[in-house]
Amino acid sequence: MKKVISAALLLGASSMAFAQPGCGVGAMIWKGQSGIAPHVLAATTNGTFGNQTFGMTTGTLGCQTNESVQSMAMYMNTNIDKVARDMSRGEGENLETLAVLLDVAPADRDAFRTLMKDNFATVFPSADTTADQAVSAIVALMEQHQTLNQYVG
Amino acid sequence: MRPLLLCLCLLPPVCLSATTPSSRIDQLAQSDEWLTLLHYQETTYSDADQSQADDAAFFLSPEGATNPKAELRATLEAIQQPGGGNDHARCRFPARDQWLRRQLNLPARPIDCPDYDTWRSELNTEAVTLVFAASYLNSPSSMFGHTFLRLDPDDTDEAADLLLADTISYAADAEAHDSELMFAYRGIFGGYPGITSVKPYYEKIRLYSDIENRDLWEYRLNLTDQEIDRMLAHAWELTGKNFDYYFFDENCAYRLLALIDVARPGTDLLDRVGTHAIPSDTVRWVVDENLVASVNYRPSSATEVRHAIDSLSETEQDHVLEMVEGDVMPAAPRVRELPARRRAEVLDTTYEYVQFRAREDEWRRERRATLSHALLSERSRIDAEAPRPTAPRPEVRDDQGHDTFRVGLGGGREGNRGFAQLSVRPAYHDLLDPPAGYRPGAQLQFLRLDARFYTGNQELQLEQLTAIEIRSLSVRDRFFSPLSWQVGVGGRRTDTRNGRRVLTPYLEGGVGGSWGQPGELQAFAMATADLEIDDDIARGHNLAPGADLGLLHQGRTVSLMAGLKTKAWLINSQHREDRAYTEVRWHLDRGLSLQARWEREDHFDRMETTWRTGLQLYF
Repeated sequence: MKKVISAALLLGASSMAFAQPGCGVGAMIWKGQSGIAPHVLAATTNGTFGNQTFGMTTGTLGCQTNESVQSMAMYMNTNIDKVARDMSRGEGENLETLAVLLDVAPADRDAFRTLMKDNFATVFPSADTTADQAVSAIVALMEQHQTLNQYVG
Repeated sequence: MRPLLLCLCLLPPVCLSATTPSSRIDQLAQSDEWLTLLHYQETTYSDADQSQADDAAFFLSPEGATNPKAELRATLEAIQQPGGGNDHARCRFPARDQWLRRQLNLPARPIDCPDYDTWRSELNTEAVTLVFAASYLNSPSSMFGHTFLRLDPDDTDEAADLLLADTISYAADAEAHDSELMFAYRGIFGGYPGITSVKPYYEKIRLYSDIENRDLWEYRLNLTDQEIDRMLAHAWELTGKNFDYYFFDENCAYRLLALIDVARPGTDLLDRVGTHAIPSDTVRWVVDENLVASVNYRPSSATEVRHAIDSLSETEQDHVLEMVEGDVMPAAPRVRELPARRRAEVLDTTYEYVQFRAREDEWRRERRATLSHALLSERSRIDAEAPRPTAPRPEVRDDQGHDTFRVGLGGGREGNRGFAQLSVRPAYHDLLDPPAGYRPGAQLQFLRLDARFYTGNQELQLEQLTAIEIRSLSVRDRFFSPLSWQVGVGGRRTDTRNGRRVLTPYLEGGVGGSWGQPGELQAFAMATADLEIDDDIARGHNLAPGADLGLLHQGRTVSLMAGLKTKAWLINSQHREDRAYTEVRWHLDRGLSLQARWEREDHFDRMETTWRTGLQLYF
């Protein structure tokens, strides 16, 4: 079954409502920290101090019509530092998750991993790369690829 | 009766509810399944004559919260109304609908519930996993743990799918701006609504594993398709409904137990809840009930980075610190001369460590981003696959540690007075309890009561009542520099100048450092402060700065602690209170330890030796 991060789930994922998931995911890769409450009471807060769930900024990605790309963008926005890490290694569960969201068939996963690792500098050209820039770069790379282009059509 | 019912089923539906014999309705309304669905539950603090739901939307009858029969009648009527749509009772309460239809052999009339149907097909659940977020060392209050359910999709051969899986959790919906003290108060005495919410697993991982540094244990439950169906139908009924949240009993773990009870009737996990539902205990019950098919361990980011650093050589560790401090660039020749695989591992570890430090020390974005980007750029140019070290799964799971309710029996001698001592501690763990399954160096005790019976004058005395006591001894090294700290409040015996021992309320705290190998041997040193308030003390109160120095070994068979404490009481003719102590415990079994303690005290220039021995049982 095709995996998408559904709109309903996105609503649950953030206190903000998104009319159109995928529109404007502008999170910086490595955010500065606004501080973490001391670990006291960590157990019992159950998410009270979990408000660190990324501030959504309006970016320039625009509203991609492709549902897979929207889901991927959504995932990138929350997990971009882990996705970047996995890409630099060419492996890892967060990179796999991107492939799953993009609906990349298992047979094409190796090509996907290699493409991402080899073009790390293209996807993340600088320390200030934002999630939407990275998503656009990934889509562009895949569009130029002879087998992976089918997943971003 | 049965044939009559079957006949009646052919009649127009509205007529049926009126004709279902009231004896049958009485019987159903008092059945365990129905009461479980409505969350009527007898607890230590409340009778079973009222539902725990604090939300009118959870009931169809205005009396639903106090009258299960009225709710059953209202439900029976509502689910037989024609039509469909999200607001239809059958769509709002699918679990009640299914159960009643089965009990009364009502026809399985299909119904269109757009929201519920979409939700269910998106969940696409094949299996349910109970996830337990373990405690983290420097957070003894996280010792209680936290639990939530993960709904695993049907093709879980890939880890990636699980990151996207949904989770169901029940949590206090606290105002973000409430202070921690307010949070604790309202959590204990009520006042926070508790809300069931659905979130993707990757968000949970982010919160518990990355931010709170807590390992996750994943217990896949052996529920059948039908049981999963019931659980999800009931989860739908709960979503967004308010159940007031209480830390100790009606907490995150409690509501999940209710879901499991609904899924598998007859399990009755909630009946096991006494005065408190500690999440790690609830995991034990779930394991005891043979609900677990398999267990998986997901180490936290902190556990992983600790392990990755320990896997490096001394020189490689130097490289990590040099890069973090900015003395050496990731692309510097000094790093590049490492063999490809080693370099990959050093860069990977440095990246993880940078993320950890940036979170803990609140790095500026520029520092974190620049270094992170440089590390990953360099890493992406290495083709060699690094054999990524993953933190090994602990031999003993948290739910396999000792039980948390402890009773101690023993006797001893204080000066020249012999006594027998009884100690009761409802929760949770102290530094000398059997350490397996608990974080080394962490202690959390609630409501520990020590009573002594002095054999000489046949006098029974309360020796100490520890309301709460937390200690966190986290070792420091060149990569991690946590503070150790302790805090305690309660009542204890203290000497007065004229030689009496009086019971006085106290508040104590300390902060310092700890060094060594956790579990093996660690030393700690703390600066402390004590406050005692009592009429029997001259001037009614006293205050003391002090020091607490000690050595700790936490072993599988023997645990030992020895140390010195000194306090300089300030008010009303200053005097010192010095104490040397040694305590050893021999763990015979998960549920039984032998204890021996020796203590020598010098207070008001009087020297006194106390020793005692005994055994400690865990329930």
